[in-house]
Amino acid sequence: MKLPKIREIIEAVKALVHKPYTSNFPFKPHVPHPNFRGQPVYDPEKCVGCLACEEVCPSDALSHKDLIDDGRPRRQMIHYTDSCIFCGTCEAACIVDNQGIRLSQEWELSFFDRSTAFESIEKDLQLCEMCGSVIGCKDHLTWIAEKIGELAFSSPTLYQSRLKSIGIIDDNIVGVLKDFGRSDRVKILCARCRRKTTLTSDIVPFNLIGDGAK
Amino acid sequence: MAKSVITIGPYHPLQEEPELFRLTIEGEKVLNIDVMVGYNHRGIEKLSESRTFDQATFVIERICGICSTSHPFAYTRAVEDIIGLEVPERAKYIRTIVAEIERIHSHLLWMGLAGHFLGYNTVYMWVWKLREEILDVLEALTGNRNNYAMFKPGGVRRDINPDDISFVLKKIDGILPTIEMLKKAILDDPVLHARLKGIGTFTREEAIDYCALGPTSRASGVARDVRKDTAYGAYDRIDWDMIVTENGDVFDKAVIRILETYESVKIVKTCLQNLPGGEIDLNITSIPPGEGIGAHEAPRGETFHYVRSDGTNRPVRHKVRAPTFMNLPTLKATVPGCTISDATIILAAIDPCYCCTERMVAVRSPEGDLLYNGDDLVRLSQEKTASIMKRMGIK
Amino acid sequence: MTSEEVRGGLRERFGEDILEFFEKSDKRLYMEVRIESLVTIASYIFKDLEARFHTASGVDTRTGIEVLYHFSIEDSGYLISVRVKLDRENPQVDSLSSVIIGAEWIEREMYELLGINFRGHPDLRRLLLSDLWPGGVYPLKADYKEWDKNAVRDRGV
Repeated sequence: MKLPKIREIIEAVKALVHKPYTSNFPFKPHVPHPNFRGQPVYDPEKCVGCLACEEVCPSDALSHKDLIDDGRPRRQMIHYTDSCIFCGTCEAACIVDNQGIRLSQEWELSFFDRSTAFESIEKDLQLCEMCGSVIGCKDHLTWIAEKIGELAFSSPTLYQSRLKSIGIIDDNIVGVLKDFGRSDRVKILCARCRRKTTLTSDIVPFNLIGDGAK
Repeated sequence: MAKSVITIGPYHPLQEEPELFRLTIEGEKVLNIDVMVGYNHRGIEKLSESRTFDQATFVIERICGICSTSHPFAYTRAVEDIIGLEVPERAKYIRTIVAEIERIHSHLLWMGLAGHFLGYNTVYMWVWKLREEILDVLEALTGNRNNYAMFKPGGVRRDINPDDISFVLKKIDGILPTIEMLKKAILDDPVLHARLKGIGTFTREEAIDYCALGPTSRASGVARDVRKDTAYGAYDRIDWDMIVTENGDVFDKAVIRILETYESVKIVKTCLQNLPGGEIDLNITSIPPGEGIGAHEAPRGETFHYVRSDGTNRPVRHKVRAPTFMNLPTLKATVPGCTISDATIILAAIDPCYCCTERMVAVRSPEGDLLYNGDDLVRLSQEKTASIMKRMGIK
Repeated sequence: MTSEEVRGGLRERFGEDILEFFEKSDKRLYMEVRIESLVTIASYIFKDLEARFHTASGVDTRTGIEVLYHFSIEDSGYLISVRVKLDRENPQVDSLSSVIIGAEWIEREMYELLGINFRGHPDLRRLLLSDLWPGGVYPLKADYKEWDKNAVRDRGV
């Protein structure tokens, strides 16, 4: 039975001569392959706050909080590191060319206190100028207006968001005149208020309007 | 002689997953075996009902870590069977590549464990070192060493870059000589022949009656393989062989697994060299009401999934049947009659994957007398090998 | 046997027992049969057609509890699913374990998760659920309610 022994001896010698397969981990850092799927990271410039990633996450690791009580309404998007399964569905569902949230190569994610295991960013929130309810993030409305091009002019909410974002119109001029009637159409409104102002006319009596209200 | 009961499990350091075996022995021979499972049951079938079809793929993937492709593959085939769709060509090839690389790593894992149970710890270490190369390949292709998140009803989620293909081919060609060496070392070794031949024989009639699957049934001469019987993935476009042997003992099961590794390498290389272009995903938006069945040949046998939908975006019922579920009861036919030191290797020969078998959690402490524990049983098996080696004059 | 012959053979031998015969495609057949004739039909498919038994699935639907038995004919990949519809209040059916040994465990699993009683089963006891699970609570039924008040439900933070 000599021959089998030589085969194994060759392998044994090779194993002795080469260094061990394992690396000296804590002292020598580990760099994963470029295709490795690590922790998702938000991009505050590109993210529009549409919550598409939250809808599709299989393990409920993404959530949001709308903070509207203080003077600066904003939406806080939270990613819980301890529930994330690093599947990449959030990146695949992101509407801004898959760049609002991206999987990085971070894998050293251990923590001592579980309540600190989250990452969050904040985006400015647009409230309805009549009733104050949440419409969506300002960047999201601008994104929709840019995406549909000239069709944005069919909705005052969309074109005004776009014009505000490029600085052409000012907040105060439009917001101060509130008459809760037909002329409120040209404001940034939530869907319910938009319906109300388009269909009703409270200030001017119906029979005294010209041919416009029918 | 008095009968005693040995309990192996449910928790001891040498088993990867908790399971409870009760062996009734008399002297050295085993009279009866009782298998109790249920320590890994996680409620996955009920969980699939609260996730959409796309999200359920991630839950299904985590049924098992070793056969992490076989469950999503069967599930996506079942969902596509509801509609009656065929996925694009490139998606079929990518699915086949990932499934076959997983088969290589799973068989290498088994070889290492079998070596450990028999007392050949060097084989264990060398084979698992080899397996690391395969896991690096999987990390390059899919992004993670297991739980690949590649499958989706309608196609695959990520594409393969052309730069990665040459890396993969180089690594796979690099491990072939070592597998060749291991194959010859295992097949020529007289101690292994003495240890494994004739042990745990499973006849052809029993294989048909118990509905055994995978290498467990192919070792007994029953030529069953889902990849040959149904045309799916890229299997019908590539020339490969199904390995079937006649004797039904543990040695044959080892031979089948080693030879299947070669076939898988052949399939992976052919697929990578002939990868067609095109789309990778059909973008299915809604699933009509109906029921579908999907199956895939996992490294341990055939995985079977049944999905029923009622037109909403969540499945109404999802039934999972893993191959080990059908292979475990076969222990009642193979274990009684053998000696205790052979019990461990027969239990390992069916390549049990308990995570796949059950799907909810319960914690329970074993009852019954503990004359020997599982540690001792593996030690008994290793001692038997040492005694055979001494008898044959090999040191 | 080709799939045509299989279909013809089944219709011919068991014509009155088959309540519904749905050929979804040329590889899939769904048959609903009467509860009493289940064992005869199953043993014909298993022994005479030499099909392999895959598994059995139990489903709780609005009209009752259905059990599907899946068989397949090896060389052609033809899959036959035999369906029986059981009454929801007291689901009972004859066990197949006398004909197919491989059906023992699957019937134990259906017994504990859906509450179906299999008459003639040699060893009908729990397979997967723990002993702490209360009797009479069947997880896969549609009217299952959470019974464990101490279970942790939130993210744990």
